[in-house]
Amino acid sequence: MREKLFEKISVIFSYNAEKNTAIPYKIRWQLRDYFIKKLAYHHKAYEGRELLHIFHVTDGNLDFRIRFNTEDLNWILEEVSDGSPD
Amino acid sequence: MDLQINTAPPTVMHVDLNSCFATVEQQAHPHLRGKPVVVAAYVTDKGCILSPSIEAKKLGIKTGMRVYEAKQIYPNVIVCDTDPDMVRDVNSKLMKIFRDYSPNVIPKSIDEAIIDFAPVFSNTIDLMKIGREIKDRVKKEIGEWILCNVGISTNRFLAKLASSLHKPDGLDLIDHKNLRQIYSSIKLTDLHGINIRFEYRLNSNGIKNPIDFLQAGEKFLKKNVFKSISGYYWYLRLRGWEIDDYRSERKSFGQEYSLKEKTSDPEKLKRIIMKLCEKMGRRLRQSGQFASGVHLGILYHDHAFWHKGKKLKKSISSTKNLFEEIIKLFYLQPQAQIVSKISVSCFSLNQNDNQQLELIDMGGEKVNKISHALDKINNRFGEFTVVPAIMIDMKDTVIDRIAFGK
Repeated sequence: MREKLFEKISVIFSYNAEKNTAIPYKIRWQLRDYFIKKLAYHHKAYEGRELLHIFHVTDGNLDFRIRFNTEDLNWILEEVSDGSPD
Repeated sequence: MDLQINTAPPTVMHVDLNSCFATVEQQAHPHLRGKPVVVAAYVTDKGCILSPSIEAKKLGIKTGMRVYEAKQIYPNVIVCDTDPDMVRDVNSKLMKIFRDYSPNVIPKSIDEAIIDFAPVFSNTIDLMKIGREIKDRVKKEIGEWILCNVGISTNRFLAKLASSLHKPDGLDLIDHKNLRQIYSSIKLTDLHGINIRFEYRLNSNGIKNPIDFLQAGEKFLKKNVFKSISGYYWYLRLRGWEIDDYRSERKSFGQEYSLKEKTSDPEKLKRIIMKLCEKMGRRLRQSGQFASGVHLGILYHDHAFWHKGKKLKKSISSTKNLFEEIIKLFYLQPQAQIVSKISVSCFSLNQNDNQQLELIDMGGEKVNKISHALDKINNRFGEFTVVPAIMIDMKDTVIDRIAFGK
């Protein structure tokens, strides 16, 4: 089941200089906290000149597609899925 | 005298991703891994499958099937739509890896490329080792779920064949030592470029398998089988000599769209044509060129096809001008029928440096300037921020797609 969304979320982001990793640590969506276990894929995209960072992450139960807008520094949850058929 | 099999050391590597679109979805969505997944043009039952995952392929689901056919094979198949930005990102990361090994990297499509080692080749280079390294780097730098096939040989044709021998995750080399053995283990249709119709043509000339094909003489292939220069090209290709290293030049820009809801309503069709013209015009103008020819193709619901092209006396590039010329063609259709697919293209590309001035200026220059101004706004704020009024509420129609091919 995959649901397309466009909701602002709160994110704690972690950067590790030793390991050179940058990964969302925790997201808060609809008053619930989801601890990120794995960054599955990261890529950049542009909307006009606005640079967006797209993170595909999972907490082990759900897969999330979240995006960070470098222009307004907002985090948006774009998609949630659980890997089951629609 | 017969030409011998090429005995030079292999310097051509072909790399392609397995089930590219589906594998990339599985990489980004860990919950999809290990499950039968298909990426389709539309997720509705009639949507065409663009890429089945390796697990879906094992069940018999193939590219080109409809979603409902896949569901008949496996009712719980997971259907996804494409994510063009992500696939393009995977492609650019792949190309970056390839360019670490040779300056001569030739993209063949979104999921395959040729690495030509000729400019950097020396006897100390071990292409099998490089092939293994590339496969490892793809997993480490792009994603652990992304697998690729690597084929190595003396020409592009055999390198591609080598890459297809052990899917998924294969690494094979074809040279003069194992060429005959490889040919004796495959069918004619396993050769890239030989489809069922070509196979029939070869069969009717006594060529039943790739070994027969290899042994056929140059004149026989040229005069009896292909009846053209193609026979000579095949004679060289099969022996490992390079014949496919030409670079083609872009001669046109085009867009096409398979309608989600088929219709014969000219107003709805004109809106789609306008959006196609806008997308085509954006690419034309970005290339800095003009076109002096336009073409419209329409596929009807009964699979009948109608098309019309026209050479223009002037060179155009604005969306408005492209739309006006193509709409003139649209009204030349013999009768209005239900349309399932529309394609537009523009050709005779030029730099418009010999443009003849019009005696009475009908505002052509102004239209071009407006087009460029609108392009600047859309570049700054995103595609389709400012659109012609006819395109209002069309955000989710004719969405971004990745074209097959180069």
